[in-house]
Amino acid sequence: MLANTLSDILSSAALYGSTVRFAVILAFAAVGEWVAERAGTLNISLESFMIGGAYSSAVAVGAWHNVPAALAVGVLAGAAVSSAQAWLSHRLTIDQFVVGLTLNIFVLGLALFLDHRWKAVTPVPKAWRIPLLHRIPVVGQALFGQPWPMLLIVPLVVLAWWLVFRTRWGLEVRSVGDNPQAADVSGIHVNRRRRQAILFAGACCGLGGGVLVLGQIGINGYEPGHVGLKGIIAIAAVIFGGWTLRGTVAGCLLFGYFFAFQQAKLVDINPQLNASLPYLVALGITAIFARRTRQPRALAQPFLRGLT
Amino acid sequence: MVGEVSASPTITLHGITKRYGSVVACDDVDLMLHPGQIHGILGENGAGKSTLMKILIGLVQPDEGHLLLHGRPVSVHDPQTAADLGIGMVHQHLSLVDELTVWENVLLGDHRRFDRGIARRQVADTAARYGLAIDPDVRVGDLSAGLRQRVELIKCLRRDPKILILDEPTSVLTPAESEDLFSTLRAAVVTEGRAVALVSHKLAEILHATDVVTIMRQGKVVEHRPTTGATALDLATAMVGRRVSLRSSAAALGATDDLDAGHGEPDTPEGSGTDPAAARPVVLQIDHARVLRHGVAVIDDLCLTLHAGEILGVAGVEGNGQRELGDLLSSLVHLDGGTVTVNGVTAHPGRAGSMAGLGVAVIPEDRHDSGCVLSMTVAENLLLDRIGSVSTMGFVRRTELRQRALALMDEFDIKGAGPDATFASLSGGNQQRVVLARELSHHPAVLVAAQPTRGLDVGAIEYMSARLRAAAASGIGVLLISTELEEILDLSDRIVVLSRGRVIGELTRAEATAERMGLLLGGMAEHA
Repeated sequence: MLANTLSDILSSAALYGSTVRFAVILAFAAVGEWVAERAGTLNISLESFMIGGAYSSAVAVGAWHNVPAALAVGVLAGAAVSSAQAWLSHRLTIDQFVVGLTLNIFVLGLALFLDHRWKAVTPVPKAWRIPLLHRIPVVGQALFGQPWPMLLIVPLVVLAWWLVFRTRWGLEVRSVGDNPQAADVSGIHVNRRRRQAILFAGACCGLGGGVLVLGQIGINGYEPGHVGLKGIIAIAAVIFGGWTLRGTVAGCLLFGYFFAFQQAKLVDINPQLNASLPYLVALGITAIFARRTRQPRALAQPFLRGLT
Repeated sequence: MVGEVSASPTITLHGITKRYGSVVACDDVDLMLHPGQIHGILGENGAGKSTLMKILIGLVQPDEGHLLLHGRPVSVHDPQTAADLGIGMVHQHLSLVDELTVWENVLLGDHRRFDRGIARRQVADTAARYGLAIDPDVRVGDLSAGLRQRVELIKCLRRDPKILILDEPTSVLTPAESEDLFSTLRAAVVTEGRAVALVSHKLAEILHATDVVTIMRQGKVVEHRPTTGATALDLATAMVGRRVSLRSSAAALGATDDLDAGHGEPDTPEGSGTDPAAARPVVLQIDHARVLRHGVAVIDDLCLTLHAGEILGVAGVEGNGQRELGDLLSSLVHLDGGTVTVNGVTAHPGRAGSMAGLGVAVIPEDRHDSGCVLSMTVAENLLLDRIGSVSTMGFVRRTELRQRALALMDEFDIKGAGPDATFASLSGGNQQRVVLARELSHHPAVLVAAQPTRGLDVGAIEYMSARLRAAAASGIGVLLISTELEEILDLSDRIVVLSRGRVIGELTRAEATAERMGLLLGGMAEHA
């Protein structure tokens, strides 16, 4: 019987589709956070960036019925929320975790409050099937039959990699994440680079929030609480990935699978326990993988001039 | 004077003064760097040479004075401005990022077009031009200290600086590597007409590599002369100076009379030195100790013997293992080799409280950082490590705590606030007395005093000195770790000099003249 269940789970195309959808949403946030963490910042406010993006996109698409424009609004909203984190903690040097926690609560409340006034109604874009490839058994539909906004993750991952490893900006971002004093004496504005990296993360999260409300099949528009701590799980994905981009994406797939598994209610366990499954897994994985040796040396350490 | 240079100076520093609170790091300093010349800047720790160089590259802003570049006034706000003006610095260990490759590090902070191919070629070109071979694709963290410095040098030279500053460049190098560095500087840099400033406390390299030398002491320029004709002894004397001892200056103020009462022979400092220390029992024995930090030996084959009733001074230029020695004896770091025994019992440093349990008391280097809890009261700080002795089932008996604190405050003359005031409200001298009182009230076998008078005023220094002498007279073995040579010479019965984590010389006080100490601190053990 257990073997039956297991084979059901492994061959369920729906489960794979759902896994990919969750993983993609996580990846938007995680890729942004990966860049921000390479710059030495840790943003638990990822959640608030996503909420900002999700709600704004939902309102925009209700007003204009234009998905690309709504996604753009989401990007801007995410970046706007992240600028609060960036300026408060990397110009005014307020503790980044205090700022992050406050922002998470504030933006969640703000979106709830505004939702009474501007009710977000979202049509769902049709799935966009890539010819032939989506016919691959079991995983074809999952990978190549998603609504088009989901596919934006592919160029985003490439962009993030290119920015970090192939541009001067990326070199400087990595240097401020590993050794801000050295970057400073080399003439790099450490906190400016950090703010920029956070803004990038905010834009990515905003896009992820937009895709969350516009791109998911079977979810009817925006609902408060929709983001549901995916921002926090995205941080766990970066940790799981050992601060590499490849590992981060792998982490998103792993956590995406547990979200899908939980949503499909495939095992007969206590529903509360089932609902908390992805978070429990994240907790365990973070505890195992958060090794100090692999992380950017200056991660979560504020930089003040002259403190050498 | 330094007449052989006809060209006008590349840069002139005029009347540079920098204060940190009441401490004057640079006091009206004038300095000229000429093209094609290697200019040595010699001085002890805290002489102000590093501050001066930081001002030159824009990491520190001077309070007074100005800079003239080719005769025109300039202001250097930050390192980027300095780079744009053609001022480059090879830092001791600051400016490389371990996780990046060589070519990435060389490019860091640059503005030109970002192209991997071009960058790698340029690194190779610069390297070849100066004979500094290196693989541009290696992670800098995987390189040896010598190669890392080579990367620093390439990074600096690629920007074609008019002025090149080297801050203690050989502190991490082997003698052969140092030799290579200086021949590179001489052959390539000087013939290209760059002005080079070589900051160092090593007499040998100043003598060997420079054309002119400026000697700094306590923030002031005390001597400026051509290197030719100078001897190590001349330089050592000028660097260390014949300062009036703080002890005698305090005596002149009438502050020492009552303080010395506890000491057996107040007016003959040599008194305890004549007594063969070896006859007394050994209280602390360190044998071939080795401590690694990030894989580098910060204490390397260190051997020390401390007898009861003596003050053993540990001298040395800052960063040569003093902090780690203090940490080791405070049970903060693990031994990676060798043994430490206290009163014949083998200690296990690195286990919290293990050294204290064996009777090693420590006055830590930074009383704010590891000595006390600033926001707690004076009484709580005084009994911080024995709070259990005034508690019942976890509840502190406040009255008793207060009484014991008051007794200690009386004994150690801690004034300025009551036992219930916060520790932070005390003056620096009184704070240090609290630490001292707590540590001595254990009746320890060994007292480690790490930079015990740093940041204190003359009166407080005098009190501390008298207390350390009294502690030794009462039979405690005192290990005085200090970078203040004066303090070491004033207090110690025996002196050892640390260099790169090992003892490179041992002197009795009678042997320890300023000149010999200067030579040892300058790393010239064979001459001392």
